Amino acid sequence: MELKDKEYWRSLEQLAGTDEFRHYLEREFPKGTVELAGNSWSRRSFLTTMGASLALAGLTSCRRPVEKIVPYVTRPEEIDPGVPNYYATTMPLGLSAYGVIVTTHEGRPTFIQGNPLHPSSKGAVSPIVQASLLDLYDPDRSRSVLHHGKETAWDDFVAWWKEQYDRYKQSGGEGLAVLSESFNSPTLSRLKRRFHETFPKAQWVAWEPVSDENIYKGIELATGRVLQPVYDFSRAQVILALDCDFLGTESEAIANTVGFTEARRVRSRSDAMNRLYVVEPSMTVTGMMADHRVAVDRGRVGSLLLALARVVTARGVPIEFARGVNRPNTELASDFVQVLSGDLGMHRGECLVVAGRAQPPAVHAMACAMNAALGNVGRAVTYHDIASLVLSSDTDLAALAANVEKNAVQTLIIAGGNPVFSAPRDMSLSTLLEAVNDTVHLSSHVDETSLSCSWHLPRAHYLESWGDAQSWNGANSVVQPVITPLMEGRGDVELYALLAGGEEVSAHDAVRETAQPLLGRAGFESKWRAGLHDGIMPGSGPAAVVPGLSMGELDLADADGLILSFDCSKHFDGRFANNGWLQELPDPVTKLAWGNAALISPKLAEEYDLENEDMVELDIDGRTLEIPAWISPGQADSSISVALGYGRAAAGRVGNGVGFNAYKLRTSDNMWFATGVKLRKLGPKYSLACTQDHGSMEGRPIVRENTLAGYKEKAEFYPREIEHPPPVSLWDEHKYDKGYQWGMAIDLNACTGCNACVVACQAENNIPIVGKEQVCNGREMHWMRIDRYYAGDIHDPRVLVQPMNCQHCEMAPCEQVCPVAATSHDPEGLNVMVYNRCIGTRYCSNNCPYKVRRFNFFNYMNELPELIKMAQNPEVTVRFRGVMEKCTYCIQRISLAKIKAKNEGRTVTDGEIRTACQAACPAQAIVFGNIGDANSRVSQLRQNDRRYRVLEELNTRPRTIYLAKLRNPNPALVKDTDAKAEGGHG
Amino acid sequence: MAQFFPKWTNYIPTVTAIGGVLGLIAVIGFVWYYFSPEYTDVGYRPVQPVEYSHKVHAGDLGTDCRYCHTGVERQAHANVPPTRTCMNCHTMVKTDSEKLALVRNSYASGQPIEWIRVHNLPDFAYFDHSAHINAGVGCISCHGDVNRMEVVMLSEPLSMGWCLECHRNPDENLRPVAEVTNMRWENPADHARRVAGWIEEKQIQPPIACSGCHR
Repeated sequence: MELKDKEYWRSLEQLAGTDEFRHYLEREFPKGTVELAGNSWSRRSFLTTMGASLALAGLTSCRRPVEKIVPYVTRPEEIDPGVPNYYATTMPLGLSAYGVIVTTHEGRPTFIQGNPLHPSSKGAVSPIVQASLLDLYDPDRSRSVLHHGKETAWDDFVAWWKEQYDRYKQSGGEGLAVLSESFNSPTLSRLKRRFHETFPKAQWVAWEPVSDENIYKGIELATGRVLQPVYDFSRAQVILALDCDFLGTESEAIANTVGFTEARRVRSRSDAMNRLYVVEPSMTVTGMMADHRVAVDRGRVGSLLLALARVVTARGVPIEFARGVNRPNTELASDFVQVLSGDLGMHRGECLVVAGRAQPPAVHAMACAMNAALGNVGRAVTYHDIASLVLSSDTDLAALAANVEKNAVQTLIIAGGNPVFSAPRDMSLSTLLEAVNDTVHLSSHVDETSLSCSWHLPRAHYLESWGDAQSWNGANSVVQPVITPLMEGRGDVELYALLAGGEEVSAHDAVRETAQPLLGRAGFESKWRAGLHDGIMPGSGPAAVVPGLSMGELDLADADGLILSFDCSKHFDGRFANNGWLQELPDPVTKLAWGNAALISPKLAEEYDLENEDMVELDIDGRTLEIPAWISPGQADSSISVALGYGRAAAGRVGNGVGFNAYKLRTSDNMWFATGVKLRKLGPKYSLACTQDHGSMEGRPIVRENTLAGYKEKAEFYPREIEHPPPVSLWDEHKYDKGYQWGMAIDLNACTGCNACVVACQAENNIPIVGKEQVCNGREMHWMRIDRYYAGDIHDPRVLVQPMNCQHCEMAPCEQVCPVAATSHDPEGLNVMVYNRCIGTRYCSNNCPYKVRRFNFFNYMNELPELIKMAQNPEVTVRFRGVMEKCTYCIQRISLAKIKAKNEGRTVTDGEIRTACQAACPAQAIVFGNIGDANSRVSQLRQNDRRYRVLEELNTRPRTIYLAKLRNPNPALVKDTDAKAEGGHG
Repeated sequence: MAQFFPKWTNYIPTVTAIGGVLGLIAVIGFVWYYFSPEYTDVGYRPVQPVEYSHKVHAGDLGTDCRYCHTGVERQAHANVPPTRTCMNCHTMVKTDSEKLALVRNSYASGQPIEWIRVHNLPDFAYFDHSAHINAGVGCISCHGDVNRMEVVMLSEPLSMGWCLECHRNPDENLRPVAEVTNMRWENPADHARRVAGWIEEKQIQPPIACSGCHR
């Protein structure tokens, strides 16, 4: 692709240059700043109050505030006040297990980072893993056992269950049913087996609204066995992702990202790079990374794959099913299919075909067969036995619902999950639950399901409970508590043990009992302790198997008409809806915070005369949902996408009523997509909180890119640098030649835009959550944001992402305008912000060309519930109203490392300081270090020929440099796309 | 024509001008001194819940500071000792002293003793004891003659200006690390020479930029 200085646009409004866009720009520094939420203050009353508080402030400052020091009575051996401790534990999420290392201050968990030893996290995190910390301190979590809505105690429940236990034991469990979440935990599986031994006639159903069931079914269809596919993206040179956001919302996205970026990293011009083909209905994180992307709605992905398989077969790689099945859609993206088949054929044994969980089993079966035919099994994909997994099953749930309807269930225990909110609507679970005599629900919140159950049991957070979990490739790890339960909660292990054995068992003992045979009796204690310390237990999972192919009957119907697809959101299935960090996190693609929307393509919008924020009605067989529309370039024209997990009614104070509940349209026969959806425009508009147009960069060369081939020819990037005379400084320049000189390098070729850094920064730096209204006003507080730019044809755009935080300019424009020197430079090149000097003029923010400064319009922190304050990092100052703030390069981490090094009589070593964003990043796109040391990693990256500085022409001399993005398009497809782009966009 | 104003009124402008200037100077002087931590904070000596005497323990008995303030060499906080530390001795010494009733109660009941903070920095200033101790700044430099205090008193203003005085010129407050808790240390005659050696050897460069203490 011959890249030119094309118009790089950022959003539809900008492209259109509408009044609304100009309005957005002006809104960055809005006029009315004295507007307290829900309170209209007149100027007079404001002045009166301020006058009075000023007078009082003068008086109070004379009196010294009395502060107490409350030492321990007996100090726990491992706690040194002020010194954080680190514990390894595991976050189970569905069938995944993410090994994490939790930072605790005096016993309070304050930060989560990935465990480098764990295969599912590899030292990095995803936004959900990072944000799960805040759930621990959620003040809306349920605080006691409820029986018919009345507070009672665990003892009462235990006594009640003992009665039931004895009764059901007599009958063998006739009429008893358990509805659990899916899990991959040796202890829970053991207890489940015991439950079945005690109650042979009882029914146990595992179900999750967002599950990988289709993947397992597809593999079973292809091989006759239920197997776990484990991908190693680092071993694939050509990747085809079929409706599979493997870098974003699919399972194991962290490990996938680590592997994917490893094969994509370009250190010098001689390096190779993998190639990513994406077929998907709406733009995802994976789609943004794609070298070639085709927007195809969810119902037609299968036929595209079939067409591809035929071509691959015709080219001499026989794929068994390709002849058998009907109707390949050869019309669809035929050039793409031709070229892709060639590329796959050329990379036999080093390519990979992956399909997403939303695709039907037939597509997974075909993908599995393709990988086998292309020789990828045992290389980029391995299959493992998963006997111990308890898989989610839609059919089992339907069977349970049928049993309830027949009155065959007297006692139903719902162990986790929120099925009343998320179950397919044709089951009408809330009505069904009324028919059951006794319903028990274990859940962290009194949620939609708890309200329909006779018993509610508070569930402990994973940071409060003992348990164990197995990663996707079989690595065992223990879930160890880092804090005693803050509420009355108990973990899954405790409940399962109670159900299976009729008596209370310590979860710690139960988990150790499971580990006994695994670790052996000899030396158990030391192995157990080593396993707890490392966060990973010795012993490995099931070995890889090479399954034979015995393709079953493929049922592949091509869908027609308008298709609605359901997407997994940043709240997963809705369980994290009460998490403010996640709610305020802008979606990686649409940049919508605090809510979801019906994503439509620009063409569909034109067809239905829709604009952003127009309310529409979606109708599927009489089930309707009213939801605002949002135009998302890259969306398939025949596809509407809605994220699941919004519109909660009983999530808590943060999540209630945020967004629109797409589960209302989901039924058993269209779990992931529905055909024949009717779209109708309604009158009103609905305001969505979008961070997209805040701080627009007006099409200047901010993100720069080239193709790999172009780069190999010449290190030139587009858009080109702005030509300017040699910059001359008005001031005496600092030398910055002594001691540490901090700098950062961000590799845009690695960054996927997954947002993990944004949440990590928020957790580390005590960044407040401001709420939807304030985000609409452009007052979000994130120190780090990810900018997303579009380029090329509006109907088939390329997407570029760029993490943007304070650039720590050596000639910082902010410092030059601060009237009180509240922002200034330190000798190590940091642009520092002194909060107690700041008087809130906001001149600095006005003068910052990168728009990375954030202003505390209100006293966000003071209004926090006490419980949430426990999540705060004591090493970072909490900012008050009227104070500017911004990225500090995690100055607290720098200071602590410097002091430690100095105390030990040495200098800080390279890599010793990792900023929070760097620690979180699964793509390792961010490198921080001392640029004064020529051998440091960051210094070496500064020598790279892809390096550039953003807005260099302003002579700001940022300490953060970026490495230009590369794409690796297939030369055979280039001319075509390029011509299209030129044609569409001139 | 009769004079409206007597002659002395001619002095009013002069007196007003001089008085105004003097008054302004007085007000500035007043605020300068009486609003500063030098006046408002130094000498702060709150009554503590337990009548603990540093004079007896650190002075007369000669207990090392680090017996109780265990973190001072290794971490930011020096730590106020847990009740357990008191009871290490007081299970045998003065077991029925009236003054120790609260300590014994605390130990028995598990209720911590709530001491009143004397040396209080603002929350946006991050002080690290270990960095100062390892550089060789004696306890006495900031905390005064604790070994002579019956009740601990704030003897220095702990204001930013005061911190910076030493950060700009630490020489007088440096000593061998082994002597930091020595309350009777006096700088020897060849102090200046030795200080130069320590500064060279340990690269003592106290930060004077904002980022040194503010995070």
